Amino acid sequence: MTAVLTPVAAPAVLRRDGVRWAWGLGTLVVLGWSLAGAGLFSGAVVNGAGTRQFGRFAAAALSPATDGAFLGVLASSVLITVAYAALGAALAVGLGAVGAVAVARTTWGRRRLGWALARGALAVPRGLHEAVWGLLLVNLLGLDPWVGVLAIGVPYGAVTAKVFADLLDEVPRGPYDALRATGAGPVPAALYGLLPAASGGLLSYSFYRLECAVRSAVVLGLIGAGGLGYQLSLSFSSLRWPEVWSCVYALSVLCVLAVVAGRAVRRRVADPRPAGDRLRRDPLLTTAVLTTLAAVAWSWWYLAVSPATLVSDRTGDQLRYVLAAAWPPDVDGPLLSAVASAAVDTVQMSVIAIAVATVGAVLLAGVAAHPVRPTVARRLTGAVVRAALLVLRAVPPPVWALVLLFVLLPGILPGALALGVYTLGVLGRLAAEATEELDPRPRAALTALGAGPVAGWLYGALPAATGPVLAYALYRWEVAIRDTVLVGLLGAGGLGALLASRLAVFDWGAVTTVLVALIVLTTAVDLVSARARAALR
Amino acid sequence: MSTRRAVRSGGRVEAQLSRRGFLTATAATAAAAALAACGRTSPVSSPGAAPSSGRGALRLGAIPDQDPEVLQRLYGTVADSMSAALDLDVSYSPVTDYGAAVSLFRTGDLDLVWFGGLTGVQARLQTPGAQPVAQRDIDQDFHSVFVVNTATGLAPADDLTPLAPLRFTYGSETSTSGRLMPAFFLREQGVDPQGFPGGPGFSGSHDATLALVAAGSYQAGVLNEQVWGSRTAAGTVDPAVVQYARTPAFHDYHWLLGPQATQRLGADLAPRLTEWFTGLPAGDPVLELFGADGFVPTEAGNYAQIEQIGRSLGLVS
Repeated sequence: MTAVLTPVAAPAVLRRDGVRWAWGLGTLVVLGWSLAGAGLFSGAVVNGAGTRQFGRFAAAALSPATDGAFLGVLASSVLITVAYAALGAALAVGLGAVGAVAVARTTWGRRRLGWALARGALAVPRGLHEAVWGLLLVNLLGLDPWVGVLAIGVPYGAVTAKVFADLLDEVPRGPYDALRATGAGPVPAALYGLLPAASGGLLSYSFYRLECAVRSAVVLGLIGAGGLGYQLSLSFSSLRWPEVWSCVYALSVLCVLAVVAGRAVRRRVADPRPAGDRLRRDPLLTTAVLTTLAAVAWSWWYLAVSPATLVSDRTGDQLRYVLAAAWPPDVDGPLLSAVASAAVDTVQMSVIAIAVATVGAVLLAGVAAHPVRPTVARRLTGAVVRAALLVLRAVPPPVWALVLLFVLLPGILPGALALGVYTLGVLGRLAAEATEELDPRPRAALTALGAGPVAGWLYGALPAATGPVLAYALYRWEVAIRDTVLVGLLGAGGLGALLASRLAVFDWGAVTTVLVALIVLTTAVDLVSARARAALR
Repeated sequence: MSTRRAVRSGGRVEAQLSRRGFLTATAATAAAAALAACGRTSPVSSPGAAPSSGRGALRLGAIPDQDPEVLQRLYGTVADSMSAALDLDVSYSPVTDYGAAVSLFRTGDLDLVWFGGLTGVQARLQTPGAQPVAQRDIDQDFHSVFVVNTATGLAPADDLTPLAPLRFTYGSETSTSGRLMPAFFLREQGVDPQGFPGGPGFSGSHDATLALVAAGSYQAGVLNEQVWGSRTAAGTVDPAVVQYARTPAFHDYHWLLGPQATQRLGADLAPRLTEWFTGLPAGDPVLELFGADGFVPTEAGNYAQIEQIGRSLGLVS
């Protein structure tokens, strides 16, 4: 997760060590295995006859629904989505701050076992997708705004705790040690010795979480928590493409606003404006923080969140009902073998998705990046590609899964490509940003020596961009494995499909088993991805 | 990001707004928001969901099975009409999926829900005291249709065995007309309902089934006859999809009333609802919304077959 904030710097010297070769070959083997699993080498996968149905979806992009009544519904849905995102992110930051204390090395000192256990505990909330949390919480809380807020806040809180703890552990220890030496207790010493130094990073990351929360709030709508995603899923289930596209465009606008605002804050934190001879609060940051706090207060009022719901007798009864039904988990043979084969599908889907997204992102990053010396045509192409990437990530993966199923034969491929296309939208933007931050001199030197634009990119930009882009891709792999649940929930295979079928028949014991499998798988991918990123550095 | 920069941006500052002032203002805003939130109805929860205060409203729910937007927008009509006739507060909450509706019925968030045959059985088994109050005239004689893509070259027939080697999709996983009964009739004719090549698909909705069979991704599928009829009448069915077979009749959708509503709103609520539904005159907007000529009384026994089939297919536990 930190990779998003601190792109891996490309090594200054070329290294061709064995570890990297091993990782590279391993990647190719896994990719080949995944493609074979998707049936790419064993017969047809494309269904040409479905292009007409796909065309209907694509054509509707140009004629979104714009009737007044529908736009009115959309507007109030947007408010709900924004309120969920703001409250969810606020809860995540709150939980993250408390959690960070519990998992920071500073807290545990030399007690490594305690630290490892605390870190391990975070894998449980983190391993489940927001939509899964939402589905579980609906069973406990019913139709309550807490469902959306907690479904974002709990998994995000766990991620935030990890990142906050890392940020706290990475600041220089001098002030803290000095305060401790003068007799300050650990808490005041941390508050005055560590927190101020880390505050910039903490603020940046909090705003990044807010951006992510907007997209998650939409996903929660898909499972019935209200808002934009809810309208989208209603229109989607009767295949009213013009209305689906209106929702997608509304979501795109929301995402753009969140990203532009979030980036402005993060850039300012990373590169503060010189304050002259006196220190003063940065007006941009102050405005951002105050606006966000006001938005959180407004969201609380708008959603009418009531803390009493969480401790009510009814919630307790429902919790007991579900826990009694869900424990012990089912461990009978047929279920376990179904879980195993679904887990294989899930891994293969995520690998194909990341491969598609990485290749696409590398190819598009150069065009999508803001050019150094812009011509009109170049600027236009850049804008078109960026808009296309935005739409790719604004159409939720389940919608991609269905429309790709029109032109592909059933199997894991439609789901994998759906995730790949969606991830390309995210990864393309990250790769473009990484390209913009590259040292422009190698490419400029090649151009000055007479190299064409493609050769200049190939030899001047690509080698330096490979490191950061691969690091982002590995990080997105963790996210993709969680997202496979989302396409699976709507039937595209893997553990998500298994979870959906068990939830549909209220087989709680089996649901527990599938959830455990999901957490184990996510944790494993997390570890592999971290090792691979370490090998890249 | 460099530590030096982080220190600079977050280091000691000469505040324009004093820290104490800032914190006080924040706390005051939060407290004001919390107070203001009391007594406000959340836009995402069911209005009137406050069982402690007074009788509360009758909370209506429905799984949007077809034309969800139409249902969502027109359900206001049902709520208003019912409210006026029965002198009750009636509110409507749309729910996106079958599972959520069953859970919300169990938790008492929804009092009166328009369930499908199978989901009604699931809800009744999880909610002791729930009782069916009415069904449409067409629900006592409901059918599904098997559809095929014209490229299969199959001519309409009653024999379902030619479907076995085709790529086949059901609708939603717990749909009575899109999954349960078709699976039962397939098995009756010796076709393994889960044995289609690559496993059966679950399109998620009747409309998605139609689109996927039209595309040819799945060569055959099955859907609710009512949806098939209305799409055919509207002329929106792709010519590549044709009807292959029609299932025998079964019971489907019905209104299910939860026990908490009876406790809150009086023991005679069930008969009053049955009376209101069955007394709706022909041409009433509520009937048009439900695509029926009238409602008729129903009883739990009508769904015994569904429960039995559900158990044998592992859909009811």
